[in-house]
Amino acid sequence: MNSLDPRVARLPLIGEEGKIVPKAPLDQFGTYEVFVQAKEGKPFQHEGIVHAPSLELAYVLAKETFTRRFTCVSLYVVDTRDVSVTLITEGNQSVYELMDDVKDGVGKKIFEVYHLVKRGKQHMHAGSVEAASVGGAITKAKNQFGAGKVVYNVWIIERNAIRFTNEDDQELWLTLPEKKFRDAAEYKGGEKLSRFLDSMNKS
Amino acid sequence: MYGGGNTFEGIKSDSVAQEDPILLAAFEARIARGEKIEPSDWMPQLYRKQLIRMIEQHGHSEIIGALPEGTWITRAPGFKRKMALMAKVQDEVGHAQLLYSAAETLGKPREQMIDDLITGKSKYSNIFNYPTFTWADCCFISWLVDAGAIVNQLANARGSYGPYCRALERICAEESFHLKYGHHCVIYLASGTQKQRDMFQEALNRWWPPMMHFFGPADKISTHTEILMRWKVKMGTNDDMRNQFLDMYVPKIWELGFTIPDANLIKNEATGRWEYTEPDWEEFKRVINGGGPCNKERLEVRRIAEERGKWVRDALKSSKAKYVTPLA
Repeated sequence: MNSLDPRVARLPLIGEEGKIVPKAPLDQFGTYEVFVQAKEGKPFQHEGIVHAPSLELAYVLAKETFTRRFTCVSLYVVDTRDVSVTLITEGNQSVYELMDDVKDGVGKKIFEVYHLVKRGKQHMHAGSVEAASVGGAITKAKNQFGAGKVVYNVWIIERNAIRFTNEDDQELWLTLPEKKFRDAAEYKGGEKLSRFLDSMNKS
Repeated sequence: MYGGGNTFEGIKSDSVAQEDPILLAAFEARIARGEKIEPSDWMPQLYRKQLIRMIEQHGHSEIIGALPEGTWITRAPGFKRKMALMAKVQDEVGHAQLLYSAAETLGKPREQMIDDLITGKSKYSNIFNYPTFTWADCCFISWLVDAGAIVNQLANARGSYGPYCRALERICAEESFHLKYGHHCVIYLASGTQKQRDMFQEALNRWWPPMMHFFGPADKISTHTEILMRWKVKMGTNDDMRNQFLDMYVPKIWELGFTIPDANLIKNEATGRWEYTEPDWEEFKRVINGGGPCNKERLEVRRIAEERGKWVRDALKSSKAKYVTPLA
């Protein structure tokens, strides 16, 4: 290809210009939801999604996408299909009021509960409950975390499905503060600018 | 941040005629109250369509915008500039991922958007169809194209669609260093040798017309967007955005002693609006429709990257992972 950019000029010519074979539905990576804990002691918050071929790679991509500039102390990912979602309500209607209590079965699993308490914001971790089923988990969450407040939407995630951050992962993001070249405060042109403007005024 | 100058499709007056009037009224009332629309809320087809189009275009602009700047990474003047430019370009590509996922919540898969970019079905910001001949062109983009995009995006961040607003908030926060870095680069050229000053002046001469195009066609010739403004899809008219950019940055360019290549550029203090030579909208249309100096190269680079990366995607593909629409 004829280009000003030598790297573009030496690209191998493959395929046909403007033509792309449309991707079959399977030729798309899976979807994973990303949750971030900004500071020690703060709750986890839903941050966004990544596409990846596996939970492990989703974790790597999530770290790259969501902690490149913002510091955080922890992050985890879960397959979107493993998130159970309630209806979304509005006004003063708490979604819990629309959910009938479910008689839980036997067996115990731990579920993470996420609340949307303000429309337009992101889901925040409300706590964990022990239950046998998603329905049972919602009932428990309603009793433990739902009283006296308006919750517009609830997400329930079984803890076993989550890829958490382990100690080794945490060491990876200790390098952040050293990268001064991408810190806005490092670009102080003011002094150079005033010297330059002074010299222009004199001449 | 690169998004800007979205081209909206013409709207037929009956576009919402087949929508349920009760749902439509509730939807409009929610927006009027200043509440955000979330993916699981009811929304008119037109709202969904225009938002997908707008967010997708913004995402593509980030991806394609990385090319004219990225080309200067290997030739950046000094190690610090090289590191900063690499970080900036990496940011922009990351922003595209955030934007694509916001558009995905409306029902269009990411791979479909990437295919539509390559086949030319979807557009991206017109300004990236021009070449970066020198380092100074790259500095123009880092400072002024980013500045123009910030004007647009700060407005859009007050829009009505929750996932897009949240993506923009994150993007704006990550941007803080781009604008400062770009201005810093230009101050260094301005206060450097005559050759450096000339280099930036020439870049300014080349980039001013596309910069004026950046905010989209003049209000008097652009498609009727009243409904999009009411739905808070579009937060200001093209001319408003252009005026705001001129207000903020023309004084800064003049301060550095450069000449903007438009003898008619002047602020009318009575109206508070800038007056300028009418940009060449024929040129704008020609370039959008593929006639710019770099359209072909930009899309070919993307297409070849996609073709060359195919074996990696195939190798990673697993029947256990399944694409689903993101939750929020």
